[in-house]
Amino acid sequence: MTVTHRPSRSEAIARAEARGQRIAAVLPYHYPRALLRAHGFHPVEVWGPPGVPRDEGGRHFQAYTCDIVVRATSFLLRGGLERAGVLLVPHTCDALQGMGSVAGDFLQPSQHVLTLYLPRAGRPTDREYLVAELRRLSDRLAGIAGGRPTDAGWADALAAEEAADETLAALYRDREALAVGDREFYEVVRSREYLAAEEFVEAAAAVPRGTAPSGIGLLLSGIVPEPMSLFDHLAEAGARVVADDLAAGARRLYPPSDAADPIERLADRLLGSPPDPTRGTPIAARAAALAGRMAAAGAKGMLIYDVAFCEPELFDVPLLRRHLGDAGYPVAHVEVELGGELGHRVITRIEAFVETLA
Amino acid sequence: MTMGHRLRLGAGSAALRVQRWRAERRYDRRAPDPGSPLNPPLRSTIRMREMMSRHYLAGRSVSGSRPVAWVTSGAPTEILKALGYHLVYPENHAALCGARRRAEALSSAAEDAGYSRDLCSYARTDLGSLLSGDTPVGSLPPPDLLLCCTNICQTVLYWYRVLADHFGCPLVLVDTPFLYGDAAEPHQVDFVRRQLEDMVPAAEAAAGREFSLDGFTAVVARAKQASDLWLEILERARHRPSPLTAFDSFVNLGPIVDLRGDQATVAFYESLLAELDERIARGVGAVKDERLRVLWDNLPIWYRIGPLSRWLAERGVNVVASTYTHAWGELAEMMDPAEPFEAMARVYLHPILNRSTGHKLAAMRRMVEEFSIDGVILHSDRSCKPYSLGQIDQRDRLVADVGVPALLLEADHNDPRSYAEEQATTRLEAFVEMMS
Repeated sequence: MTVTHRPSRSEAIARAEARGQRIAAVLPYHYPRALLRAHGFHPVEVWGPPGVPRDEGGRHFQAYTCDIVVRATSFLLRGGLERAGVLLVPHTCDALQGMGSVAGDFLQPSQHVLTLYLPRAGRPTDREYLVAELRRLSDRLAGIAGGRPTDAGWADALAAEEAADETLAALYRDREALAVGDREFYEVVRSREYLAAEEFVEAAAAVPRGTAPSGIGLLLSGIVPEPMSLFDHLAEAGARVVADDLAAGARRLYPPSDAADPIERLADRLLGSPPDPTRGTPIAARAAALAGRMAAAGAKGMLIYDVAFCEPELFDVPLLRRHLGDAGYPVAHVEVELGGELGHRVITRIEAFVETLA
Repeated sequence: MTMGHRLRLGAGSAALRVQRWRAERRYDRRAPDPGSPLNPPLRSTIRMREMMSRHYLAGRSVSGSRPVAWVTSGAPTEILKALGYHLVYPENHAALCGARRRAEALSSAAEDAGYSRDLCSYARTDLGSLLSGDTPVGSLPPPDLLLCCTNICQTVLYWYRVLADHFGCPLVLVDTPFLYGDAAEPHQVDFVRRQLEDMVPAAEAAAGREFSLDGFTAVVARAKQASDLWLEILERARHRPSPLTAFDSFVNLGPIVDLRGDQATVAFYESLLAELDERIARGVGAVKDERLRVLWDNLPIWYRIGPLSRWLAERGVNVVASTYTHAWGELAEMMDPAEPFEAMARVYLHPILNRSTGHKLAAMRRMVEEFSIDGVILHSDRSCKPYSLGQIDQRDRLVADVGVPALLLEADHNDPRSYAEEQATTRLEAFVEMMS
């Protein structure tokens, strides 16, 4: 397998089915992969998809609803998720809350609709709650799968997923020693959204070593870098993403846990995720963490790249701009819709920002 | 509080009292308006205005003498009340700005500072007020503590993180898992109960006062009494003609949200209930010629309350009930002063906004039956996504399964720029025609 020959989403699904796993379609973005795997499910993430029209979803959600929710609903109603036995909707925000609720109450698809409420802080109470919430999810999955994981099943799932997570972290750590552009790098990072853990480890290993391309260093923040041609435009403007704060990226670099109980281990890892507006991180703490990341990676500024109507992201923008500005890092903010290519206005805005950093 | 502050507060309170007396005298002497489709508004509203003004007036001189907390509208404030906190509700303040047509300018101030127009207009109004210093209430006291409860939306957490950054004071979070199912599960109740218990030392520290369980129990008992009364008030709208409109209940919601747990609030709602009963006894409806009865879903459109109420009344339509105002009454039965932490955990988990879209549909179906409803207006509120997402399916089910006309009315609770008057009127006309 080479960096350009990873299994496609369909191939990954077919392989999982051939292994006897069932497919779990998962909405963004924090969830316990190993829990799904231990119960015999292979998670495949649904970030829209961007190419699916809003039409069917728009018959259930208002025009001011974010693209991920509306397009994912379209995809569900068009039969795009028919190979999935489970639809897991983490409670990431009010929009995904709405989707989870509408899917369960009104759309009632053939998939089992499961939800997961992640606590918004990291207090001892939050940990206890999350452990109980994950046990509840485990019970639901066991009911659907017709049995509970064995100890060996748990051990296999945890080992495989933690190895893949470590591989992801290593990709970020070794970014400067990877001879690939941003687009290729993020295609590998995002293949974690649908590949099995072992396949992802293999895909990461196939990334050629060498020297990363040069360019003006940027930290890219936001939910998801769609369309991926964003990276081509950044490269053309002379910029390079040296670090990120993406929901589809570095926000899911979960720290290790030494808890012996599998569910407690998963809870610790989820609660230890990097600063994140959807998890209630204080804005100053988030800004400080971002400034630290930018200093370490040599970024000269931050581009906030938001999906339209994304409240968790939008609320932080003015204060991130101020705090990071005080730390010497300029911030630019653009909003996009997921369908189609980047608009000229957004490209011009990005180019102008990169120019100011040169 | 300094002597000067005390004198100013005393003088201000006296002025408000005189203002109320005058308003009541004018009300009692005024001649009936035969041209109006509405009977005179509720007299008690005059007293409510005095209460709310007095609360905001007290806030102007409270710093230094009482701890101050800024809280979300669904927050468990009984603990703070027991500790003597003066409470400020940014949402109520924003609604007040909206009703006084100040929201647009304040929102623009927030937008100028970089806050997107796609954000909640309450948040934009309030942040605009904070940044510009402009408010119709004179001034708001800065908080010693922020209390944010996610049982109405996640938006409040994003908003209060901004406030915490601005004021540099502690932010206490009461995180309430969204209830997708029929009722809260034990681990969800435990989670909220423990957060309420953990909130006590944080609130004590910010207040420099000691918490008293007896005091807390007493506040819960008064909150329950007021909530029971509020529900009774809303239920009076089952009478035909209804003695009040949902617009009356929107306007008189202030005390049950902001001053819940005060004895004065209990007394106020007792008097309001008595006024409604007196109206019922005399056969006086809020709308003179009530022919059609409507249920309202979602927040009101604060800047259009008066004109919309009148426009509908002219067509014999009375909006008699709303899912929104019921939220502050329907949980009264869960309040139990004997087990305050456990009971309040259940109460604060179960507001309609923290429950599934299917639950809200079931609540609307029940209200259609109980209030003899002819049609439903679902305010599709651009600024309140958790309340609004699901409304398209709810409307479709109401029409198909319940057989009532239902209208999705696009607007925004506080930002008039998101309200298209002509388009709304056309749609309302068609809706009224369908009901007739």
